[in-house]
Amino acid sequence: MADRPTFDDAAFDALPAAPDDVRSLRKAAFEEFRSLPIPSQETEEWRYTDLSSFDLDFVAAPPRHTLTTSNQPLDGTGVLFCDLDLAAEQHPELLERRLHGLVPTGRTKFTALHGAFRTGGTFLYVPRDVRLELPLQTVTSLHDDGTAVFPHTVLVAEEGADVTLIDRFVSPDLPRAFADAIAEIYVGDGAHVRYASIQEWGSGVTHLGIQRARVGRDAEFRSLAIGFGASLARAESETVLAGPGGFSEMLGVFFADGTQHFDHRSVQDHAAQHCTSDLLYKGALRDASRAVYSGWVHVRPGAQKTDAMQTSRNIVLSEHAKADAIPNLEIEANDVRCGHAASVGPVDEETIFYLESRGIPRAEAERLIVTGFFQEVLDRVALPEVRRNAELAIQEELGVRELEETG
Amino acid sequence: MAISQEEHLKELSKGYRFDWKDEARPVFEPKRGLSEQVVEEISSLKSEPDWMRKRRVKALKHFEARPMPWWGADLSGIDFDNIYYFIRSTEKQAATWEDLPDDIRGTWDKLGIPEAEKKYLGGVSAQYESEVVYHKIKGELESMGVLFTDMDSAVRDYPDLVKEHFGTLIPANDNKFAALNTAVWSGGSFIYVPPGVHVEIPLQAYFRINAENMGQFERTLIIADEGSYVHYVEGCSAPIYTSDSLHSAVVEIKAMKGARVRYTTIQNWSTNVYNLVTKRAAAYEDAVMEWVDGNIGSKVTMKYPSIYLLGEGARGEVLSVAFAGKGQHTDAGGKAIHAAPHTTSVITSKSVSKDGGRTGYRGLVRVEPDAHHARSNVRCDALILDDDSRSDTYPYIEVEDETAALGHEATVSKVGEDQLFYLMSRGLSEVEATAMIVNGFIEPITRELPMEYAVELNRLIELQMEGSVG
Repeated sequence: MADRPTFDDAAFDALPAAPDDVRSLRKAAFEEFRSLPIPSQETEEWRYTDLSSFDLDFVAAPPRHTLTTSNQPLDGTGVLFCDLDLAAEQHPELLERRLHGLVPTGRTKFTALHGAFRTGGTFLYVPRDVRLELPLQTVTSLHDDGTAVFPHTVLVAEEGADVTLIDRFVSPDLPRAFADAIAEIYVGDGAHVRYASIQEWGSGVTHLGIQRARVGRDAEFRSLAIGFGASLARAESETVLAGPGGFSEMLGVFFADGTQHFDHRSVQDHAAQHCTSDLLYKGALRDASRAVYSGWVHVRPGAQKTDAMQTSRNIVLSEHAKADAIPNLEIEANDVRCGHAASVGPVDEETIFYLESRGIPRAEAERLIVTGFFQEVLDRVALPEVRRNAELAIQEELGVRELEETG
Repeated sequence: MAISQEEHLKELSKGYRFDWKDEARPVFEPKRGLSEQVVEEISSLKSEPDWMRKRRVKALKHFEARPMPWWGADLSGIDFDNIYYFIRSTEKQAATWEDLPDDIRGTWDKLGIPEAEKKYLGGVSAQYESEVVYHKIKGELESMGVLFTDMDSAVRDYPDLVKEHFGTLIPANDNKFAALNTAVWSGGSFIYVPPGVHVEIPLQAYFRINAENMGQFERTLIIADEGSYVHYVEGCSAPIYTSDSLHSAVVEIKAMKGARVRYTTIQNWSTNVYNLVTKRAAAYEDAVMEWVDGNIGSKVTMKYPSIYLLGEGARGEVLSVAFAGKGQHTDAGGKAIHAAPHTTSVITSKSVSKDGGRTGYRGLVRVEPDAHHARSNVRCDALILDDDSRSDTYPYIEVEDETAALGHEATVSKVGEDQLFYLMSRGLSEVEATAMIVNGFIEPITRELPMEYAVELNRLIELQMEGSVG
């Protein structure tokens, strides 16, 4: 038969055993995968990313997740922080209706593929009123050429809980690999959740990620998405403010170089009144990279006293880099304050001139300006470790260029 | 609970003062529906040259082949088979108002066009149903070589100019409604301004639909030669019927090197007109193109005036004001395509929605590769006056050159309680206070209008506000 691996019946039948619930979900998803087309650029959602010739000839790789707890003892707290399949086996009642509850398998061909072939993943459950001071972290790694991984995080914070999770994705540079990731985050009434996703795949990886959070009454959700890696990365970040008084902060930081293609999409869905959401995405582009930001603020009928802000800032450092921004608003309530702002532009010449006139060489001046550009977002990151790593990564991106130019 | 047709009409006509109907006495028996035969008939009634006839027939094929737009407003209410595509109302164009049949002349008198012409216009074109029934240009403009005629006459009288430019900015297959217009177009204005000529007083066209289920498809072409200036103003209205009419115009403008063109629209169709218009301008080296686009009326409007900045140093500006009340959906906006270095564009949009109305800004700013040092700024503000109404903003920014600097900002809000309180504590009623705040809100647009139109726009807004509270 065919030499090239693919997601066919044989691969599906070779999946490890799973509890009934998961098995039937897999089966339905496999059907959806086979019937759904690869999303077309003709649709608004996929207008800027062309996957029409993307071959799905990958082998599903066994998951490698490393969970760390910052040395916090979780025993006796009722917190569950474990492999998703293990949770499905031991605590089916906690996962019921939550696995693919926010991101249904039938959403696209790729979510269906995820639903059918996912094994492993991360499950974090924080019971009512339990507050964890230090961040938890899960690292998903990918090692082999020609493989696909399906990272899946389900985070449940019950009423009044308080937790921080860092979701990291790492790999070496590979000829060709595929990551199809989903994170589903349930923020209970009055709960506080901070969630950082750090995408550091090597080159050669195609990354399609969807993160969706449901925020309850008077709850607070702060998310941070950092993207430096992958050859093509499409990251969708969605928050539904489902109960009155909810708050959502969505921060994004990315730096694209080479021929990287980033497609960032966000949704701030105000379904209840008196909610606040604030989004700030900042990105730098150089070489022949391309970045698209498209965002939706949707204020549903009756969601009065909404305060929503959406900002996308792009700094373009090279002649062949391309940036697009499409910040959309759909407002169906009147007593609201909504705004958005987007900009695309080079490093400001006047600022460079000012610095140069103070004796700072041009390359150094540019580095200072770009560093300052990102500082506005990083200053808002409450996780010192994550902030430091991002700062270092930005310096590395900027420093490498300087060496290339002088060397 | 079903409302009677009479109540429905009454509801539609609330606050609309252009709702009178002339008794229709067309000189050519109109037919409903669209076919190749209808297209051929229009062409033959106009005794057109063969190239235009062929173009129409080809465009009809494009129209039939293209799907309806899947985005934007709901267009499912358009019944293409029920529309009159061509109605001829007079035997020949009049050069004096007195030469028009009494009822048609009465319409223009009520609209105040003859009076405006006397006072402050350089030329007037008045289109009634499918054709321009009155046309006049001031003698001194004519002697400077300014051409201002209806489009049908231009095809006959200036075939070379028309053939050179017609359909070059908006080809027949550009979109479904541009294809429809190309197939059945009739009327509209043709303007040519010779090099260096400044037309200091505005030229105006007024479009009136009188018949029920009328389709009006005017076609306008403006060429401002090097270093010239012209300001063109269009207005429109229609009576209110229980079933819908369609207005689908195509407007092409070329501002040659160093020329400046300003195109002002005060769109006040009745709320049973689908208004689906394609407007596009090219601005060459150091040229300036300005669209001032006011949308008050219509049931549905989809219109995004565009500017292609094709020459170094060209500038473009779109000022858009949209108002949507009960049953109205106004999807307006603007586009600026930067295709040459050192080009700038500014798009300012102000929209107000009330009584369940829906306004939208849909726009595109695109910087092509090598269009270095492009600058663009987009500002959209929306006011939503009650909680049944809706506002959408869909801005697209596409940048392929690293020296481009683009910004977009938008806000959506309601009328500030404290502003209302302040004005009401000074003795204004809530309606007056709201109207005053709304007028202040759209002031950046109205201050760009000739005074007479600014007054008219403010009055329209006040009229729309009446009965909005309590």
